[in-house]
Amino acid sequence: MTAAAAEVGDGLGTLAGTGKLLRFQARRTRVHLTAWTLGIAGGTWLITPVLADQYATPESRVALGATMNTPAMRSMTGPAEYVAAYADSIGALFANRMLLWTGAMTAVMFVLLVVRLTRADEETSRSEVLRSNPVGRRADLAAALALSAAAATVLGALMALAVLGLEDGAAGGAVLFGLAHTAIGLVFAALTAVAAQVSDSASTATGYGLGLLGWSFLTAGVGNAQENAAVWLSPLGWSQLTFMYTSEERWWPLALTLAVAVAASSLAFALVSRRDFGQGLVAARAGRPGAAAGLRSAHALTFRLTRGLMWTGAATLLLLGAAYGSVLGSADEFADSLSEAQRAMLDRGGSTMAYSFAATFIAINAVVAALFGILVIGRGRKEETVGRGELIAASPVARSAWPGSYLPAALFAATVTNLLGGLGLAATGSGGDGGLFGKVLLGTAIQLPAVWTLVAFAFAAFAWLPRAGWLRWLLWVWSLLVIYFGNMLDMPEWLQDASPFHHVAAYPAQDLEWAPLGVLALLAAALVWLGYAGARRRDLHFS
Amino acid sequence: MNAVIRTEELVKRFGHVTALDHLNLEVAQGETHGFLGPNGAGKSTTIRVLLGMLRSDGGRAELFGADPWKDAAELHRRLAYVPGDVALWPGLTGGETIDLLGRLRGGVDRARRDELLERFDLDPRKKGRSYSKGNRQKVALVAAFAADVDLLLLDEPTSGLDPLMGAVFNECVKEAAAQGRTVLLSSHIMSEVEALCERVSIIRKGVVVETGSLAEMRHFSRSRLRATLKHPVHGLADTDGVHDLVVDGLEIDCSVDAAALDDVLARLAAAGVAALTCEPPSLEQIFMRFYGDELAAHGVREGNGR
Repeated sequence: MTAAAAEVGDGLGTLAGTGKLLRFQARRTRVHLTAWTLGIAGGTWLITPVLADQYATPESRVALGATMNTPAMRSMTGPAEYVAAYADSIGALFANRMLLWTGAMTAVMFVLLVVRLTRADEETSRSEVLRSNPVGRRADLAAALALSAAAATVLGALMALAVLGLEDGAAGGAVLFGLAHTAIGLVFAALTAVAAQVSDSASTATGYGLGLLGWSFLTAGVGNAQENAAVWLSPLGWSQLTFMYTSEERWWPLALTLAVAVAASSLAFALVSRRDFGQGLVAARAGRPGAAAGLRSAHALTFRLTRGLMWTGAATLLLLGAAYGSVLGSADEFADSLSEAQRAMLDRGGSTMAYSFAATFIAINAVVAALFGILVIGRGRKEETVGRGELIAASPVARSAWPGSYLPAALFAATVTNLLGGLGLAATGSGGDGGLFGKVLLGTAIQLPAVWTLVAFAFAAFAWLPRAGWLRWLLWVWSLLVIYFGNMLDMPEWLQDASPFHHVAAYPAQDLEWAPLGVLALLAAALVWLGYAGARRRDLHFS
Repeated sequence: MNAVIRTEELVKRFGHVTALDHLNLEVAQGETHGFLGPNGAGKSTTIRVLLGMLRSDGGRAELFGADPWKDAAELHRRLAYVPGDVALWPGLTGGETIDLLGRLRGGVDRARRDELLERFDLDPRKKGRSYSKGNRQKVALVAAFAADVDLLLLDEPTSGLDPLMGAVFNECVKEAAAQGRTVLLSSHIMSEVEALCERVSIIRKGVVVETGSLAEMRHFSRSRLRATLKHPVHGLADTDGVHDLVVDGLEIDCSVDAAALDDVLARLAAAGVAALTCEPPSLEQIFMRFYGDELAAHGVREGNGR
């Protein structure tokens, strides 16, 4: 039976149960929503005073504007209209440098959210259970879009608040900055909802969504560099075209964004009843009839299964690093303007503010890289709980290869993502200063023993106490708390010492110290040994 | 020493639950052995101990005379396993999965693989996420039957297969047996076990309650006997070994112990027989004998126990 045939004559019925679903979905995604919203808005709040102080005077802004108004720089920032307003408005400078990047992160947040709430749930047959209840056929799409709209609104409000103090008498610009993010969130949610109907699987839908972001980036970059109409093809560009904080400020490009969001949502609603459950409108392409030559061991399989996660992490950190790096060069003489809390967090002891800044971002980068490593370990656990690993475990494969191969895969993912994040930070942050470029890369590389310790700890937890998922994350959560709040809360030294990152020198803000790195590497090696011992000894719990 | 599988007083506990409670199982080389029991009786747990995935809490388990826990990886070279609920990698095609499993074992026989794909009517180009349950099962079956191994461990392998594919499966098992391979077939589909297995073990609550050849089991069980007589027969109800007797005029219907058949037939012959059927017990009836009390607890009358 095609879904369309059943469609005749039912209107609101297909939306039945949307309210209940909405509450349920909000509960399930609360961690995702909170982390992304606070990450994007909090990062913005942290960066505001840096730029505000650096470019307090019109002269400094004009000087910066002169360097920004080149095709290459415009492609990385935004239209020349903003640069023209640098002299009058710090807000224009801020929006010009930040919007493309915070907008891109907002887009990623909503692509992942919508795919997770629609196609990903169908694949786990979670929504099959839901739909067998009195819930309309379109209800889960409606709930996903309603939740996205609410999240986009909250994010926009927080973004507006984050930049409100930037410039006196420019509340309109701040509101427009916030609304721009709401609009980006809505349009990417709606376009992803269409992609979710068309594509044959959740991962393809994510690919389409992120591909759309790439397209937005490219068209905005080309359009702004060459000052032509290409920027009008970019959902990110529409927000830039509001010229917020400038004398040409206008609201209607956001109406265009909203109109596209509404049109795409309607299209998604029309398509959802034209496809069968768990299937896309585009049938799955036939895959390889046999395995490639390289797929011949448990290790090869594990690397293949986790490479998507690794590249997601690498791309995320490269982007984040580049975004943070773009403010690094202008971080030097502003310490006075920081709030007590901001200063406490950024303080890495002595040195210049740019170095402190770099060291802070290097530490955050390393923690996020470790996160991707631990996620890879989590994949190993999932292979066990959903039973896929059973076919491998019943093959002539030692425990050190299955589940053991998840350790090298996790270490590899964490190492690559950490180094690529550092590369992004160094590329945009060094501003052509070869010395700083090398320092940022070295500062990133010395985080590796601490990253490996976190990953090896997670592996040992997986090997010995697989059911205690929280244990895998324990050391990581603690490290994050110490990095964010250690100085701020005057945490006792011994508590901070429990974080491996606390023993890594905050290079380039501090001098290098090699001995603690050696100790951390040994600790990581001991945890690896412990993990392999556990993997040999324990039962495998397949479903 | 020709037992491929041998467990002695095998014990496995999960917390407070005793999954295997002093389980004894023996499967001789070259035999196709049925392993019968309902869900939760301990079939899969036994197989997973034999695969070295679970560590026993007592007793002994041996596979090819070696310890399945200590020598797991080595022993797995000589066996292939099909789980009851096959989970595949969503992004790998069936063909990729079959090749990977074959290579882990040292190589793939292309001709054999393609022949099995043909027989099971399986499209190897589809991704794991788009296979139905039956097709996922086929992927694991093709990989197992394509492997050049001494032992096949099949854990409810036909759940999800349609009857046509069930017939192909039966053929493949018979071929494997003809090639001298040992097969442990866990199942709760009686007709499958009856068609394929020479010997059967019935497991209940973690204990093997009955083991032997089907012929032996039948011998120790009751046959169902129905007859139309020429004259009324007397005293049948008092004869030892006659159960569930229903007399309706000249029609009689009863279950008779193998040992009492002689006596009963003599009495019937004396009364004169117009028509007679005598059915040996089906495996299902033998099986139900061990589970009669559980059925009763679930409110089912012993429909097959006559």
